[in-house]
Amino acid sequence: MEEQTPSQNNWLKKVWFSVRIPFLAIILALLVGAIILLVSGANPLEAYWQLFKGAFGSWRNIQRVLEKSTPLIFAGLAVALGFKAGLFNIGAQGQLLLGALMAGYVGFAVKGLPAYIHIPLALLAGLLTGAVFAAIPGLLRAYSGAHEVISTIMLNYVAINLSDYFSEGPWKDTTPGNIVSRLPAIQPSAEIPNIGPVPVGFIVAVLTSLLIWFVINRTTFGFEINSVGLNPHASKYAGMRTKLLIVAAMVVSGALAGVGGAVETMGVVGRFQPGFNTGLGFDGITVALLARNNPIAVILSSLFLGAMKGGANTMQFYANVPNQIIDIIQGTMLLFVTAEMVVRWVFKLRKQRDTEITVTSGWGQR
Amino acid sequence: MISKTVDKKRELSINWKLLRQVILGLVIVAAILFFNARSPEKTSAVLSSTLRYAVPLILGALCGIFCERAGIVNIGIEGQMLFSAFLSYMTNVWTGNLLLSLLVGMLTGAVLGLFLAFLSIKLKLNQTIGGTVINILATGITGYFYQTGLTTQGKLWNIPLGPLAKIPLIGPVLFNNPPITYIAILLVIFSQVLLFHTRWGLRTRAVGEHPRAADTLGVDVFKIRYWNVIIGGVMAGLAGSFLTLEGVGMFERGMTNGRGFIALAVMIFGKWNPISSALAALFFGFANAMQIQLQFMGIQIPHQFVGMIPYLLTIIVVSGFVGRSRAPAAEGIPYEKE
Amino acid sequence: MKKRLLSILAILLVAGLVLGACTPKTPVVDEAPEGADVDQPTETFKVGLVTDVGVVDDKNFNQATWEGVLAAQKELGFEAKYIETKDAKDYDANIQLFVDEGFDVIVTVGFALGEATINAAKANPEIAFIGVDQFQGEVVPGVAGLIFDEALSGVLAGVLAANLTETKTIAAVLGTDLVPPVVNYNRGYVGGAKWFDPEISIISTYHPGGMDVAFTDPEWGASTAKQAIEQGADIVFAAAGNTGNGALIETAQHDGLFCIGVDTDQWLTVPEAHKCLVSSATKDITLSVVELIKLAYEGNFPSGNYVGGSSLAPFHDFESIITEEIQAKLKEALEAYNAGKIELPEK
Repeated sequence: MEEQTPSQNNWLKKVWFSVRIPFLAIILALLVGAIILLVSGANPLEAYWQLFKGAFGSWRNIQRVLEKSTPLIFAGLAVALGFKAGLFNIGAQGQLLLGALMAGYVGFAVKGLPAYIHIPLALLAGLLTGAVFAAIPGLLRAYSGAHEVISTIMLNYVAINLSDYFSEGPWKDTTPGNIVSRLPAIQPSAEIPNIGPVPVGFIVAVLTSLLIWFVINRTTFGFEINSVGLNPHASKYAGMRTKLLIVAAMVVSGALAGVGGAVETMGVVGRFQPGFNTGLGFDGITVALLARNNPIAVILSSLFLGAMKGGANTMQFYANVPNQIIDIIQGTMLLFVTAEMVVRWVFKLRKQRDTEITVTSGWGQR
Repeated sequence: MISKTVDKKRELSINWKLLRQVILGLVIVAAILFFNARSPEKTSAVLSSTLRYAVPLILGALCGIFCERAGIVNIGIEGQMLFSAFLSYMTNVWTGNLLLSLLVGMLTGAVLGLFLAFLSIKLKLNQTIGGTVINILATGITGYFYQTGLTTQGKLWNIPLGPLAKIPLIGPVLFNNPPITYIAILLVIFSQVLLFHTRWGLRTRAVGEHPRAADTLGVDVFKIRYWNVIIGGVMAGLAGSFLTLEGVGMFERGMTNGRGFIALAVMIFGKWNPISSALAALFFGFANAMQIQLQFMGIQIPHQFVGMIPYLLTIIVVSGFVGRSRAPAAEGIPYEKE
Repeated sequence: MKKRLLSILAILLVAGLVLGACTPKTPVVDEAPEGADVDQPTETFKVGLVTDVGVVDDKNFNQATWEGVLAAQKELGFEAKYIETKDAKDYDANIQLFVDEGFDVIVTVGFALGEATINAAKANPEIAFIGVDQFQGEVVPGVAGLIFDEALSGVLAGVLAANLTETKTIAAVLGTDLVPPVVNYNRGYVGGAKWFDPEISIISTYHPGGMDVAFTDPEWGASTAKQAIEQGADIVFAAAGNTGNGALIETAQHDGLFCIGVDTDQWLTVPEAHKCLVSSATKDITLSVVELIKLAYEGNFPSGNYVGGSSLAPFHDFESIITEEIQAKLKEALEAYNAGKIELPEK
């Protein structure tokens, strides 16, 4: 793995350089998982084989993996975009939750629309809710200095309380015989269909990733967001309206998370129900870091995480492994992918420029 | 220029601030006495519930304060608490020795602190992410290894402090508590003194505000940071042990339920100052106790709205509407020796 | 490089061993029936269980249901297996795993799985589905919704509490009101206590958090119980899963108080609370599951709602303080309840 001077296989090298850290991190995390499995008396090979089969063993399983990846892509994009602007949007969870709630409300309460109007309308509801809910910490960060990590953690709790209130109170499903706190099922006209095993939501997610990639890499807005993230002071002296950019980045981030929730409600669950969106926003953090904030790589890392989540039940069923092992693997993976030094040290890789990820610093920074 | 005007403003506002605080304190005392006269049991029940809810928050916030005063962001307090709660519980199950269990809890917190310090100082990993890693791993590992059906042989008991415990109202609330509660109160004072009235504290704050300058003056930035994060870890470990050894005496997957994050809010609320943070924690505890008390009294507000109050208040406080709180300047930035 | 890889692996292995010493969770096992499998039927009968989000050993309804499956297994001798749900969106997929493996009976635990169960039953008419806590609005062939009248055992708990209290103040520590059975327990508790003594003061409180924390916050349960006790409550009824277990353990720390558990006989699941645990307001999940599995085994599986028993658990060590007078009152309450004479509050 010695790095050589540029040669004929330059291109291959370039690809390898950009994926090697996440790739090796995944390998190491799987190894750690294997050791824990081994120690607790399970057969790791069998477990991983079942995990793989559970994810890709049939079209139905593949569809589930795609379904699970879809909200992860949106959440991952939301977090990644935040990171690009130097913001750590832990609040993706709350934005996603409220997006799912509002899409569920528009999905059931608005009646008599054709699908081609109803679906965009409900998606828009989710998008706007997420955007507005993220605008709060964005504004606070830009104009009062309240760090977004703290305000979004708090807002996550507010979001849970709000969505519980609406599912138990004013918007509760009053279908005869229903005792569950949830919203009514959305109208068929708001359901996002599948094309074969591929959920349309997944296609939208992939297109969104491409769009975000384009925005970040090919537009002025993207350039400005990047420079604010890398060096807020320099950007300010360069004449950028950094405060506005911070709010804008947060709003776009929240909008992405909100759409993620909406797609989940409209494409997978079919209604809003408390407890069905738990943890998706937090998984977005793992996705974004694994993808090193690259929107295209977000698709891949979401698929990887989605496959683990999709295959977990098969692994539990056939290999008799408690599915908390997935959490351990995910945490270890996150550790290795961010603690590049560990991976470099283990595999004796040399540091390469431009692989640094920009992420937020402490809440003392302005 | 700018900093000078700020300073002037501060000087002018000091008296107002003090006055405000005195008035607030008097109002609180008056309110307590008023309710105490009307219903002593309820008042003391609410107050001791307030304190009990506040203890893990106080300890968690102290953890945050030590880390952040030295310039290390720690959002892994939740994970440190959960891990310590788990291991001190397991030790109690195996050995039945409460003191040993407590030590194991503190040690667990310290080790995780060391881990976080290693990640952020040696590996220069982004600190927020380091904390997130600790949180995810704590949930995963404790969930994987926890077995139900275990029982412990008791938990820490109340130690009344002699005649002090007999003072009406204050006695039962303050002077008849289990040990970790006393330790927490003492630690608040200890931390306040340590951070603001000793060489160590001065160095710590210097490292958190301006590590380069501290380094120039011969302070070992890395050492100070390592030790403070480890001390903080001990506090978080105590918070975890509080839950399983002193609070309920049992463990449950994910039983910290966000207390580590609330502790962060408490820390910011208290402006990175131990005594203020303890007061902030008491405020959160009071909000929780009142939330319960309102339900006891049969007052029907959707409890989700009552439940939201502490979080909304935190946002209001961090956004500076009620006096701005400023974090240590060098926080979150890995220090590179030149 | 190899050296480093090896050394890090060694470190990991040691760490793993240390953790492994923490009594790793028993992996999912299909326990073979002991001694009963001498003459197995040629075509094995298979029973599967899908938990609600959580774990099978939750000291609560997942566990009670699984115990029912095991009890039936002991009697009938069949293959039994469970799967723990981690994400609410996996309900369908987890049921499908059992369908694919040709299971004959699939037990799904918790009202949240209601929809998934009905959908699976419609697609697989040959399989018997037992839905614990799943009220059936209309009869779906192949689904038995095992429901319980929680309000009834709540009434009994309330009457018992009202009989035992000396301070005329009784408390209830409850999970979230997002969960209907919890609300019903409390309605019964309040109604029963008021029926016995209209003057009694009942202080009850729900956990303020959402679904995902309300049942896993034992410290909140404990401190809430303490707050109630300090203002005079001498009976604590805990209907909040593990949050409630915290309340039971806390009550046991105080002298001369009683506590009442919920769902199963908590004497068996929370030994720390023996000092105060006078009884539990139970729903007989285990027994009803055995009954339903037997019916399925015999080919007489019912569809629609199947009402299981709800009652009070045995008094164990407190047998002696339950006077005949109290017994008579409990009986009277049962009759009054069945006759619709006990008024229940809204929430």
